[in-house]
Amino acid sequence: MELLGIFFAAFLINNILLIRFIALCSFFGVSTKIDTSVGMSFAVIFVMTISSAVSWMVYHYVLAPFHLEFLRTAAFILTIAALVQLEELYLKKMIPNLYRAMGIYLPLITTNCAILAVAFLAIDYRYDFLRSMVYSLGVSGGYSLAIVLFAYVRDRMALAPIPKWFQGYPIAFITAALMSLAFLGFTGMFGL
Amino acid sequence: MIIATSIIVLGLLGFVFAALLALAADYFKIEEDLRLAAIVAILPGANCGACGAAGCRAFAERLIKGEVAVSGCLAGGQDVANQLAAVMGVEQPTDVHKRVAVVHCGAKGSQRKIKANYSGVKTCQAAEMIAGGGLMCGYGCLGYGDCYCVCPFDAIRMSDGLPVFDHNKCTACGKCVAACPRKIISIIPYAFNVVVACSSRDTGAATRKNCPVGCIACKICEKQAPAVFKVEDNLAVIDYTRTGIDGGPAIEKCPTKCIIRIDQ
Repeated sequence: MELLGIFFAAFLINNILLIRFIALCSFFGVSTKIDTSVGMSFAVIFVMTISSAVSWMVYHYVLAPFHLEFLRTAAFILTIAALVQLEELYLKKMIPNLYRAMGIYLPLITTNCAILAVAFLAIDYRYDFLRSMVYSLGVSGGYSLAIVLFAYVRDRMALAPIPKWFQGYPIAFITAALMSLAFLGFTGMFGL
Repeated sequence: MIIATSIIVLGLLGFVFAALLALAADYFKIEEDLRLAAIVAILPGANCGACGAAGCRAFAERLIKGEVAVSGCLAGGQDVANQLAAVMGVEQPTDVHKRVAVVHCGAKGSQRKIKANYSGVKTCQAAEMIAGGGLMCGYGCLGYGDCYCVCPFDAIRMSDGLPVFDHNKCTACGKCVAACPRKIISIIPYAFNVVVACSSRDTGAATRKNCPVGCIACKICEKQAPAVFKVEDNLAVIDYTRTGIDGGPAIEKCPTKCIIRIDQ
């Protein structure tokens, strides 16, 4: 039950994009088409889950025993960058179809702040391994939900008669703000 | 003390990851066919998809596997086919005929009669959904340039509401054919050089009321060159499988001048 709570808190109530405002660059960058946003979502779910698992281990088995918790930023960046490279090599050889489907998104995600944020937040909340896994699944699921919904909205915006001054990013920002307001309505759900 | 441990731990961490990556790079190495890069360089690179593959690179992979012929790149034509044949070590194909896109409408901006003013979204697709954008003719070109927007080879320009095809640049990839909501663009053999610039299937009287240059199904072309021209559904159509027959007399006799040469 607690795991379910962690998942939904990350998925809806503290949605990484619309409530925490992390990883907004990719939110606006790859949401112009529905299929690219879906591709990006799957790549984020994949990378976020694996990288938060590895960075959890790095923190608890490498940094904590030496009392080097203050080094976590450098250590996590190192871990995530190496890990994404490794995943890319592995997929290219073993699952070329998946590699082609994720395409350019994999290396793009290396520098995505959401990945680093999840690694930090799971440590800050003092989650154990299982809980941090559920948490990162929830966050990446929330990321996918928000970006795919937003891509559908932008798809409609492409055909809408928008005043010249609002075309492009201005209306996208306004729409994202309205979506964020809507997600605020989830606050307090399930007593969280 | 803490400085020393942090340097050592972070250094070791970096070293371990570097070693892992180095091992993985060796273990997961992919033998890539050397011809692949050469083939991709030869292909037009527009990723138009006319060949049936997802893009130029996908076509190159299938070519190496032997799933497609060197003449499979429709956009490249004879020139690319010859170069591909050289790379693949096969004989140069001779069955590549240049094909080009043509529009089956000849009504310029001022010749189009309208029944209503259209002020909606300025694309052919949107106009077609709203009663044909107010155009009297239910078959003719809408003139908002959807074909112009999708052409990956920059071969179309809009002139007086009609798309004009640059036949040197056109590669018959078929993107404009798919983009046109009225389905009045088609791909024909370039050597044939004749096209019926009308798609109206209205009766002759109705067409004449809507448009000064529409096909009125008078069948004069059919009498001049019966092997090539055929009037079906109130519209002259050309049988592009017949070659070596001169359509000249039909072009001259056409009363509404809707049969035209494409290289004019």
